[in-house]
Amino acid sequence: MNLKTISAGRIADKVNRGELKARDLAEIVLQNARELNNKLNIFCSIAGAEALEQASAVDQKIEAGICLPLAGVPLAVKDNFMYKALPTTLGSSQFKSFYPPYNAAAVDKLIAAGAVVVGKTNVDNMGIGSTTLDSPQGPTLNPGDLQKVAGSAGAAALAAGICSLALESDSGGALLQGASHCGVFGLLPSAGLVSRHGLAVHSGSFCRAGVSALFPEDLPVALKVISGYDPRDAVTAACREVNTRRDKTDDLSNLVVGYLETLSGSAADPRRNLVKDTLNRIAALGIRKAAVQLKHLPEALRAHQVIAAAEASSSLLRYDGIRYGQAIEAEDLELLYRKTRRATFNGEALNRSIFGTYFLSKDGYNRYYRQALKVWTLIREELKTVFEQCDLLLMPVVRTGPFLASGETAYSDLLENDLFTVPVSMAGNPALCLPAGDINGLPVGLQLIGKQFEDAFLLSAALKIAPAIISDLQGFNGGGN
Amino acid sequence: MKYETVIGLEVHVELLTESKFFCACPNHFAAEPNVNTCPGCLGFPGILPQLNKVAVQKALTAALALNCEIALFSYFDRKNYFYPDLSKGYQISQFHVPIGSNGYLDLEDDQGLLKRVRIGRVHMEEDAGKLVHSPAGDTSLVDYNRAGVPLIEVVTEPDLRSPGEAKRYLEKLKSILQYSSVSDCKMEEGSLRCDANISLRPVGSDTLGSKTELKNMNSFKAVEKSLEHEIKRQRAILNSGDEVVSQTLRWEENSQETIVMRGKLQAHDYRCFVDPELAPIQLTIEEVEEARQNLPEMAEARAARFVKDYKLPGYDAAVLTASRSLADYFESCLAIYDNPKAACNWIMGEFTARLNSAGIEVDRCPFTPHFMAELLKMIDDGLISGKLAKEVLDQSIASGKSPSQIVEKENLTQISDHGELEKIIRQMIAEHPDSVENYHGGKTKALGFLVGQVMKETKGKANPQLVNELLLKTLEG
Repeated sequence: MNLKTISAGRIADKVNRGELKARDLAEIVLQNARELNNKLNIFCSIAGAEALEQASAVDQKIEAGICLPLAGVPLAVKDNFMYKALPTTLGSSQFKSFYPPYNAAAVDKLIAAGAVVVGKTNVDNMGIGSTTLDSPQGPTLNPGDLQKVAGSAGAAALAAGICSLALESDSGGALLQGASHCGVFGLLPSAGLVSRHGLAVHSGSFCRAGVSALFPEDLPVALKVISGYDPRDAVTAACREVNTRRDKTDDLSNLVVGYLETLSGSAADPRRNLVKDTLNRIAALGIRKAAVQLKHLPEALRAHQVIAAAEASSSLLRYDGIRYGQAIEAEDLELLYRKTRRATFNGEALNRSIFGTYFLSKDGYNRYYRQALKVWTLIREELKTVFEQCDLLLMPVVRTGPFLASGETAYSDLLENDLFTVPVSMAGNPALCLPAGDINGLPVGLQLIGKQFEDAFLLSAALKIAPAIISDLQGFNGGGN
Repeated sequence: MKYETVIGLEVHVELLTESKFFCACPNHFAAEPNVNTCPGCLGFPGILPQLNKVAVQKALTAALALNCEIALFSYFDRKNYFYPDLSKGYQISQFHVPIGSNGYLDLEDDQGLLKRVRIGRVHMEEDAGKLVHSPAGDTSLVDYNRAGVPLIEVVTEPDLRSPGEAKRYLEKLKSILQYSSVSDCKMEEGSLRCDANISLRPVGSDTLGSKTELKNMNSFKAVEKSLEHEIKRQRAILNSGDEVVSQTLRWEENSQETIVMRGKLQAHDYRCFVDPELAPIQLTIEEVEEARQNLPEMAEARAARFVKDYKLPGYDAAVLTASRSLADYFESCLAIYDNPKAACNWIMGEFTARLNSAGIEVDRCPFTPHFMAELLKMIDDGLISGKLAKEVLDQSIASGKSPSQIVEKENLTQISDHGELEKIIRQMIAEHPDSVENYHGGKTKALGFLVGQVMKETKGKANPQLVNELLLKTLEG
């Protein structure tokens, strides 16, 4: 069975009807995962008996007459979500054999809905980054070009046909950028819609849980499973309150899609043309366009860096090797802290610890942190204004294609690449990355952004628009449903 | 030169809640280490804080009871520092906006005049765990039972002028917080902890001298003693023309002296910022007013009521209301026993003495107010003598059995049977003819001797008044 040609919904249908045994599928999927992993370096760990047990449990429930929305659906889980059955490495060599004592809320919900966890996907150190270059096992390679990174190992697992759904996290663009690089659909739900209990949060302000899929119609189903109030994550209280939100688009001619009038970069940038072409194509559906402005885009990127670093410098303090994880023995406590933390962190986690400590210090607080908070307010206000002019905002996801897997990329380029994804991280809106074309033989996505908590509306509109956007996308095995 | 003492106190008080501040772990004193812990208070990855609203309610009550202005909008900050007893590497605290500010507490100064001590802030924070060092000093273990327990910190302005005032402030604070059920304020269990800042300045000066911080005082008495000690030390330094070094000192109870704990008081950069994982605390005016209405009757008001309603002397009322639990005990007892003065005497005297010597708290004593009422009734009914009652009290405290059970089991009921007593009296008269002679010779002391002999013979169970009466009748008759 080729997962690239069958949606998660179709798999669940077949399993629910008894036409396909979840256990049989799981065996094939696990075999496939092991083989492809050698080439792509997607997984930190691949499930074995646990996955087969989960699949058998699904089959038993189906036999008992229970229908499950994700019956037998192969699921990839990013390795910064706690999952008792497999180690949760957090992308750190000091957590190689860390078995958390509990499951993440989203993991529990997906398993309860019938999904089968195939493995834990590669992650940047402490979950910070959008390249997997900061993973102790090296980067996950892009299925479309082995010289490049995938960005997100979960997206790679989808693009390689190993899994049908991927549980993802995002704090500045990892989810959307990975989906863009791999040509899959990535949904970053509204802040406060999905519980982060069991996600190793390094930035309470920006970290969110989301989900990616090969087929857009699987996203609403997956979102329904993982969303909702959870007392273990205080911010999800907000999703209970609003009940007047739009949840579907009946008539596309009533829809106004905004786009950024001025985009930085040269006029010849193929990404600029991508937005233009896409707008023209969806205009053919009767959708109206509206030019909008996000003047604070460059400042938002800087502010995001400051705040994310500040929060990480504090949130990562708990990793001292005393209560869990591996400590490196030393003659005194101070040395134990130094050695253990030096071995625990690398790359961006280390940078953020250092910069963030400075940003919050007496010296840096007013100069950087307080300023960044002001910019945060500005970009939120600006996005609010944008959504007074349009229902959805169409924007690029990435500035460049995926980085080289050899890691020969300037640090500043890595930082700059979050330009288009941080506004959503900061404002809490939902965003959907959908494949919109290809550049240099690799897929490139665009993002559709909606108002906060109008996730259902965003998905409904996107499902109507998607066929017009992805019709001539090279290498995309559409169809499915 | 004459110096004026300037003291400010920082008091940490654990809040009386069922569970911890940000997780569901029980908040009670446990001897076994690390039993009251979960991944949350151990700082495991992926666990977000869940706010205990009761703790906020208690902090609000405390701030109101201490006459503070209430911040309707406040939030939690993270105070970042490394220490093994701090599981997350930061303490959740209120740095930028405390729930209460600009409060005060009135007390008597050393001249007996009323003075107002300003309370700068009352803020909420979580407690840290505790380090346990091996006697050999080679290993340290961490007990996280206390990690995440809700606290308030009550900080005074430098308004206290003597160790005695400091002690009275603490007593008053303790009484208010106990009365409002905010905390049990047990210094020996660490639910109330006090640090003191102290400096001296020439009388008449209005600039503050350089201060030292005192830590590790385990009782109010120790606070007073350590401050007295520190005043002497600082005065000696100033008199010799030197400057007091700003530093943290540790009070050593055994040697009754302070030792340097940390060098110069350096401003540690805790890099406080708003905790992004917790929602701000938004109180409504209605909530605050309701909490204000629900503030209980405090010690002074209760003592005044005791004087008025129960006709107790002012001194007795003050002693009974010094702690809420003792005052509650007294009133519970009065609910079923109607002689306030007798109850007051027994509770203040025999009962309190036994609690003190056994080191038991009133509210944990097995001798309930109900038992006390039962005991007092038995005395009133002449079933037992006052002397026997003390014995019953001892046994009841030790065994937890009710006074009536003990009296019945030990066959302690007073002998008030005329026939039985007359028999014994006749026997004693026969055995001590010389005493009888002395009595008739006008030596009234002999009567006492004979009563004593009867009491001795009955192992104290005879009703002494009746013995007296019957003996007189026999001797005269």
